[in-house]
Amino acid sequence: MKINVKVNGKKYERDVRENMTLLRFIREEIGLTGTKEGCGVGECGACTVILNGKTVNSCIVLAVEADGAVIETIEGEAKNGKMSKLQNSFHEHHAVQCGFCTPGMVLSAKTLLKENPKPSEHEIKEALEGNFCRCTGYQQIIEAIQDASGQMKK
Amino acid sequence: MLKEFSYLAPKNKTQLLKLLAEHTGKPGVGKTAKILAGGTDILVNIRNGFDKTDLLIDIKKIGEYSKLDFNKTKGLLIGANVTYIQLINNKNVKKHYPVLIETAGKVGSPQLRNRGTIIGNICTASPAADMSRSLLCLGAEVNIVSIKGSRSMKLKDFFKGVKKTALKAGEIVESITIPIDMADAKYGDEKLKRIKGHDLAQAAVSIVKKDKVLRVAISSCAIVPVLLKDFKSNVSSATVCKEALKSISPIDDIRASKDYRIHMVKTYIKRIMDKI
Ligand SMILES: Cc1cc2nc3c(=O)[nH]c(=O)nc-3n(C[C@H](O)[C@H](O)[C@H](O)COP(=O)(O)OP(=O)(O)OC[C@H]3O[C@@H](n4cnc5c(N)ncnc54)[C@H](O)[C@@H]3O)c2cc1C
Ligand code: FES
Ligand code: FES
Repeated sequence: MKINVKVNGKKYERDVRENMTLLRFIREEIGLTGTKEGCGVGECGACTVILNGKTVNSCIVLAVEADGAVIETIEGEAKNGKMSKLQNSFHEHHAVQCGFCTPGMVLSAKTLLKENPKPSEHEIKEALEGNFCRCTGYQQIIEAIQDASGQMKK
Repeated sequence: MLKEFSYLAPKNKTQLLKLLAEHTGKPGVGKTAKILAGGTDILVNIRNGFDKTDLLIDIKKIGEYSKLDFNKTKGLLIGANVTYIQLINNKNVKKHYPVLIETAGKVGSPQLRNRGTIIGNICTASPAADMSRSLLCLGAEVNIVSIKGSRSMKLKDFFKGVKKTALKAGEIVESITIPIDMADAKYGDEKLKRIKGHDLAQAAVSIVKKDKVLRVAISSCAIVPVLLKDFKSNVSSATVCKEALKSISPIDDIRASKDYRIHMVKTYIKRIMDKI
């Protein structure tokens, strides 16, 4: 089936199989491999992308369901080779170890800050409950988001 | 990799009902078709090889199924495409049926709440379905349609067993109606799970109370979510607990023992009743 999508501001038209997930589509058809596959069944959040303004697990969305959609992936975060404020904050706070969860974490955090620019620690934790990290222990990630939202005492 | 299947996305109800009538899954009558709403249950089941559907019918392009309407005499109508997040952000739901928001907020993660639908939760008919508790307490009715016509039934009669509903071949749930009589009720909901974010309930209780009526629903403690008979609002928690134990039949499994589930149901009933 032919689908049209806009990914990070760029339009794509592709003919895809019905059983192709949005995750595979982004990685294999568009070639953007920042979006990761962890569990493949909606649990870990490594495959998080922003679909029409809302975070979703792209492993449990079909590419055909995304026909006509506007999609943001981690590759859309840096502009002209410069990392976003949020990405810089992850870097500075050592919120990245192996980095496998990071693309999803950043997109969940980005969506949170858009809807709630000064989240409490509890609200940050709730916003990340669909993103697993097996390395950092989460504390550095929470601090990175607190700092990016201007809430860090220095 | 998902197994192969066909995919159709009808744009209106007439097209949808025709497709459902053509593909009932009976031998020689089209393909085995299933509805695709948010996909958070069915795509996982396909991926795990549990679901052999060979046609997915996506209903998300059917505009009239996105309705979420409140009316002071008729109550609340939740269309088949309404997601958790839409319910949670709706002002009328917040004001009149906050127990729905309480249970919706306990489902999965933000990513799942952005995609999963209320009616998908009910149609999956898991004994642990979180929306079942609050909807049962509020006296929800399920509105079903097929090419042959429409019918409605109480949600408590819709659940027939583990993952079994009263739906017949060619039928779809169009909407759920919540009558006005339990609007603005006092409420409480408790869900036992191992971690916040990613766990099905091991035992869970919702209670609503308004005027002279107190209503209790329990999930994850029988093959279907259980609605107890209506109580008078001044009933004691001991009486409710006694009645609850007669109606549930929890099992031992990897997530909790039978005794633990029973203990927590009693604890939750007391805790909520002390509060409301
Ligand atoms: C990681 C994870 C965590 C989860 N956590 C929870 C949780 O905490 N609590 C909980 O209750 N659930 C949970 N779920 C289950 C699931 O997300 C919900 O049940 C969700 O509401 C399903 O809705 P959906 O729109 O995604 O359904 P879909 O997957 O689209 O459909 C589910 C089933 O219902 C049928 N169906 C859908 N709509 C209709 C209709 N209108 N008429 C007839 N049949 C229909 C489909 O054919 C399919 O068989 C979780 C799932 C995952 C993957
Ligand atoms: S890969 Fe999609 S949620 Fe884990
Ligand atoms: S940094 Fe390794 S999983 Fe999060």
